[in-house]
Amino acid sequence: MAKAEFKVVGTSPARIGGVERVTGKGVYGADLMLKDQLHGGILRSQYAHAKIVSIDTSEAKALPGVHAVVTAADAPDVRYGRTYFDRYILARNRVRYMGDPVAAVAAETPAIVKQALKKIKVVYEPLPVVLDPEEAMKPDAPILHDDMPLPANLPKDAKVKNVCGYIGVDVGDPEKAMAEADVVVDEVYETKMIHPQYLEPRMAAAQVEPNGRLTVWANSQGPFPVRAEIAKMLGIALNNVRVISAELGGGFGGKGSGITSGAAIEPICGLLAMKAGRPVMIVLDKAEETISTTIRSGAKLYIKTGVKKDGTIVARTGKVIYDAGAYSGFGAMAGGRCTNMLGGWYLTPNVHIDGYVVYTNKQVCGPVRGPGGPQAAFAVESHMDSIAAKLGMDPAEFRLKNVPKAGDKIVGVSKLRDVSLGETIRIAKEKIGWGKVKLEKNQGIGIATGSWIESAGPGGGAMVKVNEDGSVTVQIGKIDMGTIPGFGIPLIVAEELGIRVSDVTVANVDTDAAPWDAGTVGSRGILVSGTAAQLAAIDARSQLFKIAAGQLEASPDDLEIVDRQIRVKGSPAKSVSLDSVATAAHNIIGEVIGRGYFDNLAMAAAEKEHGSSQPFTAHACIVEVDPETGTVKILKYVAVHDIGQPIHRAAVEGQIEGAAAMSIGQALCEQVVFDKNGRTLNASFVDYLMPTINMMPRIETTLVHGYPGAGPYGAKGAGEIACVPVLACLANAIYNAVGVRIRKLPLSPENVLRAIREGKRS
Amino acid sequence: MSLNIRLRVNGRQQSARIEPSLSLLDLLRDTLGYKGVKICCNTGECGACTVLLNGKPVNSCVVLAADGAGAEIVTVEGLAQGDRLHPVQQAFIDTGAVQCGYCTPGFIISVKALLDRTKSPTPEEIEEAVSGNICRCTGYAKIVDAIHLAADRIAGRT
Repeated sequence: MAKAEFKVVGTSPARIGGVERVTGKGVYGADLMLKDQLHGGILRSQYAHAKIVSIDTSEAKALPGVHAVVTAADAPDVRYGRTYFDRYILARNRVRYMGDPVAAVAAETPAIVKQALKKIKVVYEPLPVVLDPEEAMKPDAPILHDDMPLPANLPKDAKVKNVCGYIGVDVGDPEKAMAEADVVVDEVYETKMIHPQYLEPRMAAAQVEPNGRLTVWANSQGPFPVRAEIAKMLGIALNNVRVISAELGGGFGGKGSGITSGAAIEPICGLLAMKAGRPVMIVLDKAEETISTTIRSGAKLYIKTGVKKDGTIVARTGKVIYDAGAYSGFGAMAGGRCTNMLGGWYLTPNVHIDGYVVYTNKQVCGPVRGPGGPQAAFAVESHMDSIAAKLGMDPAEFRLKNVPKAGDKIVGVSKLRDVSLGETIRIAKEKIGWGKVKLEKNQGIGIATGSWIESAGPGGGAMVKVNEDGSVTVQIGKIDMGTIPGFGIPLIVAEELGIRVSDVTVANVDTDAAPWDAGTVGSRGILVSGTAAQLAAIDARSQLFKIAAGQLEASPDDLEIVDRQIRVKGSPAKSVSLDSVATAAHNIIGEVIGRGYFDNLAMAAAEKEHGSSQPFTAHACIVEVDPETGTVKILKYVAVHDIGQPIHRAAVEGQIEGAAAMSIGQALCEQVVFDKNGRTLNASFVDYLMPTINMMPRIETTLVHGYPGAGPYGAKGAGEIACVPVLACLANAIYNAVGVRIRKLPLSPENVLRAIREGKRS
Repeated sequence: MSLNIRLRVNGRQQSARIEPSLSLLDLLRDTLGYKGVKICCNTGECGACTVLLNGKPVNSCVVLAADGAGAEIVTVEGLAQGDRLHPVQQAFIDTGAVQCGYCTPGFIISVKALLDRTKSPTPEEIEEAVSGNICRCTGYAKIVDAIHLAADRIAGRT
């Protein structure tokens, strides 16, 4: 469909739900208050690794105002996990990171909760702590999970410990190709753990209904996975658990509980409510969140590439050591993605990469925005510049030389449908003034590219209910945290039904009513729920046409719907209003309910036949480095993205700008810092530095057209990819400015200064 | 030892019996029910709980409720006139500056304080005015657009 044919797709109308948010009426999870609710709190381990010898809750239970105290003994002996079932909701016999939940309390006031938590006596027997995943793999390392097997696909000769995921990439004959290369570059990169630091605290509220069902309010990105986890961990049938999504004040993958098996506060809250016989609400303190909830893992990345003199890449080998933390969590998925992406998204005929996902005594890996991607791209795209430098080639030209074309394969994608990578690089060069802009002393220019997943995955449905006044209520399983329910979905439904965007309401997810969904993660909102909503709207439209056809004495095939009027094509005077048809439905089929779903098998088949339409991006920036302080100031930043057809243009730009900003934070200042005992040293916002407006450049976004994706109208997901190239883009510009290659994040003043000084010495 | 305080919130007289250690944030949110004042870091670092205290923006989480005695407080709930949004609120919606929206009330209060002072803020003044407000969603670009749009509308430039 040509762009001009759209009525609302591609525009930027006001977000649905905007008024509530700017007037302070948006009811976020943390704003809830249930009648007669108790406050809940969690006792967390003060050891990074220890045996639990005993837990005495008697004093806490005796405290006036305390209604329930729970430990592992109160919950079924069931473990949860995504790949490995290695975790209890409350630690049983052993704690594995400082922050592991050990017990929980429900009481009349937050102050009594605090008092009660202090009165729980836990006797620990400390065990050796291992924080570095590479150390954790060694033969003499302490074992975190005695009863978890090593991955079945581990190479036979791998003598490793504490590994909970292995990913191998094997293409061609890299050994031979490396030996025949003209130039070989071998490097090691390292990234640090960061916390997503969404502003609204994680919460859960639970209430046992008179009929025995359990209702849970959760600000989770995955209400259905949360429901499954509660049911399993508390031994309740799924139909007796109802999860209602509270509006999310940010998530970025960090609120992917249930999906990742992260912090599991929802089942703990449910357990407290069942035990107390009253509603209970838990709101985590921000410092408690920083030490206990899921994070973006640090990774160590070994990368080696062989190239010909003319700049053709011939081989890539490497190794990824990916930190899972104390439990497997999302580690295998994120580490797997990281391992694949270390193979790059350029033509590389021979590749071998080993990816190890490793337990350590730290908090657990979650699916934080582009899980595994920024880490891999930091290595890949810094390395590309190192190779270009060794070849004496322009870094942008070196990249363009190795860009794949339609029909080619790259690591992890067996066939590309079309490839926008080259165009994004060319536009980024133009926008930043590559080779043209005059740089002052200590200023540098950098470029880096990225790609992200756009392929088959979990399915998902949508229902479009046409009300008798012509307005529409949509049910999908994805939540609104600045994502599709407030932006893209209303446009898609309005486009197909000829109504105003403001006529569409997307209902909050209630697992009693909404179709099942895997969660708002993986840049899959538009692809899954967007596709489903479009098909559901088309289904609703054909039901409306069938009813209207009788009234208009025309064939349903000859009808169209424009401005809430159903009319005969070519004879606009012959029309009936949408509301009258929706009302007429009451006496025929009751209600027009369109149904649609994203069909994963259909997508897999289409990908097999035509190849997959990966999104690509190129970022470029100009920085100024202060050689006295090591401070990096970003003077200009351009982000060029192919995300297919934008549905809600401002939302797409907002996702790109926000994701880039988040990675600028990771690049320049963010990290969770531990002492040798595994205690987080910067838990509070006073010490965990994040970008404020002062350090942010204006992200100048350009959308590239002409590369349709698999989503509705050719859309691709846009929520994560802008996180990918940023780290290397800045590192490359710093290299260009002051001639030092920094291979360990963050690019903080102290690290930059140290690198400059070491560079001078060598 | 608890004490009685009186204060005006969004033009309305309020009184409460409080513990001396209670923060202004907890008073506004939990005791008086102004949930538009957002809870986040509790250390005065993120700006989500920003309110006007006698016309000046403050992080209410690090102000004692007792210090609000006799004061005039404005929260985000106090800006719209009936259904008519304050120009700053409208500008945040119109420019797409509201993603998750959790930081939005704090930003809006900080920007209102700025535009109460000057109708033509410089980029430096804008940066200064919201440098204590963290947004994790937008990368700030559309928030800056919103501030300019609000200033232009208030000054009658658009």
